[in-house]
Amino acid sequence: MDRRDFLKVGGAGLATTMMGTGILSWTPRAEAATISKTYYINDGTRTMPDGVSVYFKSFGDSPSALSLPASHIICQEGDTLSITVINRLLKTHNFVIGGLKAGDPPLASTGNIASGATGKITYTIPAGKAGSYMFYDNVTSYNRFLGLHGGLAIMPSGSSTTLYAGSPTFKANKQLFWILNDIDPALHNAVRLNTTIPSTFTPRYFTINGLSSRPPGATSHGEPLIDALYDPRSKLSGSVGDRTLLRMLNAGMCSHSVHTHANHMEWLTNNGTVRPSVWKKDSLYLRNNLGKIDAIFPFAPPPDAYPPVTTGHFPMHLHDEMSQTAGGGLYQFGAMTEIEFH
Amino acid sequence: MGMNDGGGGGMGQACYVYPGTPATPGRVTPDVSFSRGIYMNGSMLMDDGRSVTIWGFTDLAAGGGGGMGGGGGAFPSPAIRVTEGQIVHTSLTVNMMWMHTIHHHGIEPSMENDGVGHFSHDVTGGTYTYQWKASNAGTYFYHCHTNTPLHAEMGMYGGLIIDPKPLATDPVGTKRAFKNGPIYDVEAIWACDEIDPAWHTLDWAAATCGGDAGLNNLNPKYFIITGVDGANSALTAMAVNMRVGQTALVRYICAGFHPQKIDFGGLTVSVVASDGRPLPAAWSTKSIEASSAERYDCIIKPTTTGSYTVTVQFIHWITGKVMGTARTRINVT
Repeated sequence: MDRRDFLKVGGAGLATTMMGTGILSWTPRAEAATISKTYYINDGTRTMPDGVSVYFKSFGDSPSALSLPASHIICQEGDTLSITVINRLLKTHNFVIGGLKAGDPPLASTGNIASGATGKITYTIPAGKAGSYMFYDNVTSYNRFLGLHGGLAIMPSGSSTTLYAGSPTFKANKQLFWILNDIDPALHNAVRLNTTIPSTFTPRYFTINGLSSRPPGATSHGEPLIDALYDPRSKLSGSVGDRTLLRMLNAGMCSHSVHTHANHMEWLTNNGTVRPSVWKKDSLYLRNNLGKIDAIFPFAPPPDAYPPVTTGHFPMHLHDEMSQTAGGGLYQFGAMTEIEFH
Repeated sequence: MGMNDGGGGGMGQACYVYPGTPATPGRVTPDVSFSRGIYMNGSMLMDDGRSVTIWGFTDLAAGGGGGMGGGGGAFPSPAIRVTEGQIVHTSLTVNMMWMHTIHHHGIEPSMENDGVGHFSHDVTGGTYTYQWKASNAGTYFYHCHTNTPLHAEMGMYGGLIIDPKPLATDPVGTKRAFKNGPIYDVEAIWACDEIDPAWHTLDWAAATCGGDAGLNNLNPKYFIITGVDGANSALTAMAVNMRVGQTALVRYICAGFHPQKIDFGGLTVSVVASDGRPLPAAWSTKSIEASSAERYDCIIKPTTTGSYTVTVQFIHWITGKVMGTARTRINVT
């Protein structure tokens, strides 16, 4: 597997550093700032859990290394995004920040970026836009599946503990993206070879933040750059009371059911719209093709433990269990991560 | 990681399984207990006359199966029904030919009792007793969490209901959905599931060591409600029969893997709880879209007589197309 430099600055500029813990780090500011970031549209291969090498494209941090998904950006209302996108591939691509709610127009777009050209976005975020966003390439309907996607978190101005003004609160610096993707090698191969795109898709690999899980006993189990169970961008790690915001984005082709063990989640938004009331759910319907959900994992003591416990290890996995496989088998090598109470 | 650092590897033709039958940590005398074995050679007769192999759990206390697994049993597996506040033991006995677990879906116990193999153990060659407390009244289900895509698809699940403690002010026999929740007269559990016969010939450990068993690709041909074919049989076998003036509680469980949409045939239902938790305010609707393992508790109070056909659509997780439907009825006299 190609290694990622996951410790790189996520959104270069003021106050946007992706910490080694993988949690989205955020310090609110009284003043607006300009958030600058450069992405390189690049390509490469990743080795899947069954050893198959699959072609991907990405919005890379560097000219040649894949970033799956792209490094996130975190900012606040009032900030100005200054995003530069350099297309290093032969095909035309673009970079679109999707709207907050389903049906909203894109927040911003570079427009088409020809091979070798550079696209730019300069966008000042108005009030009322706090929330979770996906940025992606939509020159084709499938470019997103190839890896050209990432997450943008817009915080309410001056807040480090709310998703939107007046939302239920989470603990400062306890938030992360879960970006899901489904990989059909036939599609990726057709793009690589410039042959006919398949008319139907059958994904064989399933990822959370670009990785699949590796259970105990498997090669690379426990390696945070390979094993989704241990990827600090994905792993839910905390002590009782560490309420954590989950920004779930579905970049892929499959609808999923996101299931947490140990705690019910507090369901805040669906496809960018604030829910009329907060439901407590252990399974959430995350729609395919740009579905979004925000929820808080409360890190409460598992309520049904007897004797009571405050520590333990549990899974977050997708309950559409086809997604827990790789290459048509290898259960436990799919889109799953770990929830650790410490 | 949990109890099994460095575990895994193979056992026979199985890989990444974590055999064990340890003592239950902090074991106490329970308020209620259930004893489950397994069966690996059951069957379900479909409306088209064909049979599909089914696996499941047996009730050992009722003399079912002896844990040897070679025969058949009820489908879905026998329900677990307890009262809020009880300490529960669910014992699972599996012989050394297979591995299974019980995960009480939506119940949130300690990791040792959560029934997830790689965080605890897969039961084989003995008995493990899952200990947990029934803290929140509502609708749940239990299922095997070993090679889960296959074992759940094969039918290894059953209902799990936690009733609220009776209120002192309620007449004896009063049934409520949860503490201070709505009172109901008639109850139904509709666990809606899809069956792809191509999966139902596989070995219990299929493809756990690698290889392509097609477990990424579920193409169901049958669509069922609580173990009954939804093509025709469920229209009568799973129907709710009630009178005007009565209240029904339908516990809808999305027991399949693909998304579903349940339509109540023109009736408006009041959804009062989901996933074992009361909603802050009841939600009135004529249909529900659900993803795998979600549960919705629906209160129905028909005001007119009639036979209302309930339709469950099974929706492909990629294309969004309806793959098939299962139907039952609410008959109001």
